[in-house]
Formats: sequence, C-alpha cells, structure tokens
Amino acid sequence: MNVKFLTKIEELLGPFSAKLRKHPNLTFVVFGLLLCLVALLPHLGLMNFGTMSIIAYITIYAVTALGLNILLGFSGLISLGTAGFVGAGALGTAVFIEMGLPFELAVVLVLTISGSIGALIGLFSLKVEGIYLAIATLFVGEILRQIYTQVPIFGGNSIQIDGGIKLLGFIELSQIFKEQRSMLFVLLVIIMVLMMIAMNNIIKSKTGRALLAMSRSEHAAQAMGISLLKYRLTAFVLATLFATVGGIMYAMYFQTIPTTSWSLDLSLFIIAMVVVGGFKSIYGTFLGAFIIHGIPNLILKDLLGDISYIFSGVLIILVIIFYPNGFVYIWVDIKKGYSKLKKRLQKDVTTDGK
Amino acid sequence: MESKKTILELNKVSMHFGGLTAVDELSLDVKEGEIVGLIGPNGAGKTTVFNCVTQFYKEYTGDIYFQNHDGDQVDLRDYKVTDIAKLGLIRTFQNVELVKDLSILDNLLIGAHHHYETGIIQHILHTKKARSEEKRMKEKAYEILKFLKIYEIKDFYVAGQPYGILKKIEIARTLMSDPKLIILDEPAAGLNDQETDELETLIHQIRENYHTTILLIEHDMGFVMNICDRVCAINFGKFLAMDIPKNIQKNPSVQEAYLGKDE
Amino acid sequence: MSDLFGIIFNSLETGSVYALAALGIVLIFRTSKTTNFAQGMIGTFNAYIAAYVMLSLGWSIWIVALLALVTAFLTGIIIDTFIIRPASKVNAISKQIITLGIIMVIVGLLPKIFGVASFQLPRFIASEYSLDIFGATLFYNTIFVIVLSLTLMGGMFMFIQHTKWGLATRVTASDETTSKLMGVPTKRVTMISWATAAMLGTLAALFVAPRVSVYGNMLLTVQISAFFAGTLGGFSTFFGPVVGAYIIAFSRNFTQFYISDIWGNVMVYTLILVFLYFKPYGLFGKKPTKKV
Ligand SMILES: Nc1ncnc2c1ncn2[C@@H]1O[C@H](COP(=O)(O)OP(=O)(O)OP(=O)(O)O)[C@@H](O)[C@H]1O
Ligand SMILES: [Mg+2]
Repeated sequence: MNVKFLTKIEELLGPFSAKLRKHPNLTFVVFGLLLCLVALLPHLGLMNFGTMSIIAYITIYAVTALGLNILLGFSGLISLGTAGFVGAGALGTAVFIEMGLPFELAVVLVLTISGSIGALIGLFSLKVEGIYLAIATLFVGEILRQIYTQVPIFGGNSIQIDGGIKLLGFIELSQIFKEQRSMLFVLLVIIMVLMMIAMNNIIKSKTGRALLAMSRSEHAAQAMGISLLKYRLTAFVLATLFATVGGIMYAMYFQTIPTTSWSLDLSLFIIAMVVVGGFKSIYGTFLGAFIIHGIPNLILKDLLGDISYIFSGVLIILVIIFYPNGFVYIWVDIKKGYSKLKKRLQKDVTTDGK
Repeated sequence: MESKKTILELNKVSMHFGGLTAVDELSLDVKEGEIVGLIGPNGAGKTTVFNCVTQFYKEYTGDIYFQNHDGDQVDLRDYKVTDIAKLGLIRTFQNVELVKDLSILDNLLIGAHHHYETGIIQHILHTKKARSEEKRMKEKAYEILKFLKIYEIKDFYVAGQPYGILKKIEIARTLMSDPKLIILDEPAAGLNDQETDELETLIHQIRENYHTTILLIEHDMGFVMNICDRVCAINFGKFLAMDIPKNIQKNPSVQEAYLGKDE
Repeated sequence: MSDLFGIIFNSLETGSVYALAALGIVLIFRTSKTTNFAQGMIGTFNAYIAAYVMLSLGWSIWIVALLALVTAFLTGIIIDTFIIRPASKVNAISKQIITLGIIMVIVGLLPKIFGVASFQLPRFIASEYSLDIFGATLFYNTIFVIVLSLTLMGGMFMFIQHTKWGLATRVTASDETTSKLMGVPTKRVTMISWATAAMLGTLAALFVAPRVSVYGNMLLTVQISAFFAGTLGGFSTFFGPVVGAYIIAFSRNFTQFYISDIWGNVMVYTLILVFLYFKPYGLFGKKPTKKV
C-alpha cells in the first residue's frame, strides 16, 4: 500500500462523496435502496424469512429510536415511556382497522392520540425535570401498559389484523403471503427512509438548533427568543410521533400485535440503541438498533447460543465506556487513523526519494 | 447627546432575594446610540439588573421602559422573557453560553431564531420558502462573521475554540437578531490585553455599523473608561453616580465603594 | 373489618419491601448520579444464590439469607469497581444504560448458573405462626419483615445523620468534586453505596420471594414501585422515598380492593402524576436553586 493508491481511491470516491455531502438526504435514499435488496434475498433462497423479520424489527426500532434521539441527543430530555407509544401505534392501528376504519384513517387517528399525549408530557416537562420527569414518563408507560393488557378491546394477549393491511383502499398486503411480506418489508424501509429525511430536515433547521440551545443553555435560549414551552412540546410530540410510527410499522408488517410486549424493558432497549449507536446521529441510531437488536439475533444467537444475552450486555457496557457518545463516533477515530496512516506513508515516500 | 431619545429607562427598580436586597431603588437611563457602562464591586447587583431588564426575574418592583421598533415606550414587564429579543433587546451572559456541539455558524443562526417565519412542517418538507429563508439567514451570518474576522472558522465546532473566539461568537450571535440595544455582561473578562484592545475597537464599530446602543457590565476599569460615553456606578444594589467616565473616576462615593472607607 | 386489617398488614409489608428497594435506588442516585435499573436484578441474582444453596445443601433460610447478603455486598463492590468507576466520566443517560447492560448480563447468567427452573424460598417465620386481629391473619413473618425493615432503615438514617461515614455520604451526594478536594474518600463512599444498595435489593428479594417464588422478574413490580416511591417522596432526602414507598403500597392496595383491580394502579399513577405537577420535587424534595 502506498500514498498513490490512497489518493487514487480518494479521487475516485471524491465526486460521489462531494455530491452526497451536498445532498445528505440522498444518502438516506441510497441506503434505503440497498436495504430494499434484502426483500429479494429470501426469494432467491439466500436468506430465510425469519432473518428478514429481524431486519424489519431493526427498521422499526430505528424509527422509534430516532424520535428518542430528539429527546436524548438534542433536547437533553429522557423518556422511559417509549414502549407505551410504540404499543399505541401498533395496537391502536390494529384496533381501528378491526373497527372497520380504512388504514390511512386509523394511522391519522393513532398519531393524533399519541401526539396529544406527547404534548401533555411536554407541558408536564415544564414543571417537572430530571429524574422526576424520567420517572413520570415511566408512569405514563405503565399506565398505557395496564390499559393494553387489561382493556378487552385490545384482545387480551394479542390482536390480529384479519386479512392484512389495505393501502389506499385497494392494495392488500398480508403477512401470510411471502411476496406480500417482502412488499411490506420494502414499505417499512421506505417509511424509515422518509423518517430519516424528516429527522435530518428537522435537526438541520431552526427547530434542531433551538432544541440544542434549550438543552445546552436554557437561559441563553430564552434570551434568544426560544420558548421553552414551544420546544418542550415539540420535542415530546416529535418523539411520541416517531415511536408511534414505529408501532404502526410493526402493525403493518407483523399484523399480529401482542399486548404484553410494551413494557419498561423495551423502552430501555430503545434508549440503549440511541446511547450505543450515537447521540444526535441518524446513522448512529440505525447502527444502535442494529447492534442492540440485530447483532444478538442475527449473529450471536447462532454463534454463542444462550450466552448471547450476556455478550450483548457486555457489549453495551464496553461501547458506553469507550464511546460515550455512541459507537458511530468510531468514524472520527477511523478518519484520524486514516490521515495518520497517509501522513506516515507520505513521509516514507519523501524519505525514499532522498 | 442631550437631545437623543431614551432607549432604556429604569425607574426605582428593586429586586429582593429573600432578605437580601440585590437591587435597591435603582434608576438610570440609556440614550440611543450611547455606550453605557454599569460598574460596581463584586456582588453589587449588576447581573441582577440585567436579569430584571431582560425579564428573567419578574418579581422586581419599579418600572423598566424600553423604546420599541416603532419608537414607542413600552413597559418591559408586559413581555415574556422570550419576547424580549423580538423587541430588539439582546444580551450576553457572564459565563459564555454557547452551544458547544454546534458549529460557529449554527450558533449564529440561533441568534436569528425569532426572525424565522417558516415553521417545522415547512422545514420537514424542505419547501422552497424554507430553503431560501435559511439561505438568507446564512448570508447574514457570513457578513457578521466576516465583520468579526471569524468567517474562516465558521464550520468548526464551538467546543475547543479559545476563549477570545468564544466571546466574539457571543457578540456575533447578538448581532444576528438586529438588536437596538445590546447588553453585555463582562465582555472583556478573561481576555488578554491585546484582545481587550481589539474588543474596544469592535464595540465602537458595532455601534457605527449596526446602529445599536450598548450597555455593558465590566470590571476592567481601563476598558470602561476608554469605551463608555457614560458610566453608572452601583454598590449594594444602590445607585452611586452616573456621569461621564472622567467624573466617575473622581467621584468620592465611587472611590469609596471600590477602595473601602478610610477610617 | 377483617378486610381492612388484612389490607393494612399487607400494605405495611409490601411498603417495607418497596422502601428497602427505594432506599437502595436513592443511595445510588445520590452518590453515582445514575438511576440504577439493575437494582432489582442484583437482588434477584443474590436471592437465586440463597435459594440454590438452600436447595442443594439444605441450610436454613436464616443462614442462606446471611450468605446472600454477603454475596450481595460483593456483587455491589464488583459492579462498582469494574463497571461504574471506569464509566464515571460518562454522561448521566449513558450511565443508566450501563445498568441496563448489567441487567442483561445477569439475565444471561441466571440460567447458566442456576438452570432454567424457578426456585422457592420459605418465609423467615413459618406461616403457622400468626395472630388473629379482628378476623385478619397477621403472620409473625409479616411483623418480622416490617420491624426488621423499619429498624434497618432507622439505623441507616442514624448512621447517615450522625457518623463520619454518613457525613461523607451526604457530602459526596451533594457535591462530589468539592468533596474529593476536601479529602472525603468519595471512591470508597460510592463503592460502599453500591454494596449497601445491593444488600437492600437482596433483602427486598428475600422478603418477596415466599409470595412470588424466585425467578428472573420477581422484583419487577418492586423495582418500578421503588422508582415511583423515590419520585413521590423526593430524591433529595433519604427518608422521603421511604414515606413514598408506604404511601404507594397503601394507596395501591386500597384502590385495588375497594375500587377496581384493573384501574387501581392506573388511578394511583395518575394521581401521583397530578401531584408531581404541583410538587415537582416530591413530598420532601427541595427545588435546586438555579442562577441566571
Ligand atoms: N438567584 C439568586 N438568588 C439569590 N441571591 C442571588 C441570586 N442572584 C444573585 N444573588 C445575590 O444578589 C447579589 C448580587 O448579585 P449579582 O450577580 O447581581 O452581582 P454582580 O454585581 O453581577 O457581581 P459580579 O461582579 O460578581 O458578577 C449577590 O449578593 C448575589 O449573591
Ligand atoms: Mg455579575
């Protein structure tokens, strides 16, 4: 390996990376297209459908965790009730569809309801802060969990969307048929990419900056005209909406929704995705979802069997200790290492030349 | 000078913290285009005055009037703390309060927060209006950054910048909001001599180029004497004197406040 | 009448368990600035040890309980030394997730060490010893749990208020950096706090074990209730959460019995949320002063 080789590669990739840097949203589309290929693999016999479902889970969690990243990464707020809102999205969609409402209306209703609860928490957050706020959101999560498991409308142990999802009134997609399952998968990826783009647009806008200003220096933010009321509401509403969309994705793909899965465990796992993947980073969030859900289920389970859980725990601890802002920031280290390598190679060249 | 309009007027303002009177029936005025210094020993209540003016504290007694963009006198008490910036009154803080994990440019854009007309939906959809507005704000920021000679480093994170630069970024951020009156809490604190000299020129330039009025707290007496048109001295929250710098220096009660009473 | 007394005894017992757990959580929160989600799992782990030893060696509950407390102490020290201290510079949210990592490690370890079956632990005092008060049964064991918990907690308060170590804990809790500069052994204080918290969690586990058997999630309700108790009582004092724990136990039992099994919890939680809105730092908490 020598400098010329490295520079050549840089030259080759240069135009691409420049283009992508100019249109960051394009990278999400490219990423999504690549991920869509997964939908084909089972049909070619290269992957089983179970694996596709695990990746579907990752997209769902990634969307949910993106919303949480708005709280954790940008607003300096925390929610322990995320699972409740994912549950709201999943169960709510199912209940409304079972009541005979069209899918789109069900989605709008579910988002409105969740968003309103999110707004209430936002209001609440003006008064209650720190650990008290965190545990207050745990109360909300627990209340939702009780409702899901106790109220008969949610079907006891689980609720099923009979006959699958009907988009725009005529595209029927059921989990039962393999081709349709792949199409559902593609749909999830599309939603995820859209949510990533939305997130990117938000965080690069005045809203993203205001949220950061509010969390880093409340007083300076206020002096700049940033209303705490408005942005606390914004943060919590966005976070709940993202979580609810995650739930809706769950309902779309799996179409059988348990009532008992939406507990503190899940909320903590989603926080872990943000923390381990990367605060404030969109790809980091996906990476977090992959590390927390994907690695144990795709790799470790086969490799290590039942000690995969221990391994995941250790992984979380180690990543946090060594990359406290998220594993995605290993990128910074790689870049540093790369420029160091280049410099050393360059030095070799000049000394050789003499 | 005399004929100029009053832009900020404090009328018998008092502020208590429990039993402590931090500001005690303080009256002072700042005229359009002036550079006014507020001085006083540690704990004299200077920052508290700023906090009352910018409505961080609402529990003060007395009145604080400000001349708004239309030239009308308004009672600041009627405004929320977050509406003060819109009036054209902007402040800095004694401790640098920037968003460290944003670029310098983005920190400036925060200063223009209340100028944005587009909302979050437009931002999510990345509409044309939103994009052109963002572009406009950025161009404004570029101008200010060039004026302050920090344009080249605009894309660097705030974290890790030297103190002198941080202070500049704070001032740059205030300019983003088109201020009529900038109030600075110890702008020269922590700066070395050369940076302090530079700041003097800068503040004069800001007044000329941006047509603003400046009220500042500062402990560096040389700086205050060089730069201010008038200086107001307070001690234990009480008004001592307000005059041109030369006279303030000679004022016996001010000297006493700083040096202590000779027995 | 018998129902009423039954509920009171029951609430006092569960309240004591919640209080022990809550105290452990506050201790960690105050000294390590983190919400320890693993508190319950650490207690569970040591309850497993007790149950396992009891089953295999046939020792009495008293001895295995003591043993579990010793292993709890060690667990606390190990966790502090190898996980918490290396992460001391990590931000608060990430630290909480570290405790999630701890949970996962323990959950993974349980079946490896003890197998997949759940275990039983008996009461400290067998259920044939009981009193009859207005028709309600009051087990001696219940009295034992309540009295021991109250004594322990009382002792802890005395210790924290009146000894040098207690003082060190309090100052570490309020300002670690300054304390360190003042020569307070903050590292040791933090370590002992983790050890003590682990013991409190284990005690809670041993007390609930006879009711629910020993299994992975045996302390889930206790853990969540302890968080709620801390919030209700306020994290800035050590006794607030204890009071909160009893309030939660009582109100939950009463609403469940007299109003609705399903909606009792929901009502209590909602009421606490409303309460928090008006007293955001709990019953006894003080608002930290913020300067502009
Ligand atoms: N939020 C507050 N609560 C209680 N007392 C306060 C508060 N803010 C200020 N004080 C007290 O009011 C007095 C004036 O404080 P202030 O910060 O206004 O002084 P200052 O003149 O800005 O001092 P310095 O030059 O040190 O910045 C001090 O005694 C201070 O302790
Ligand atoms: Mg001050």
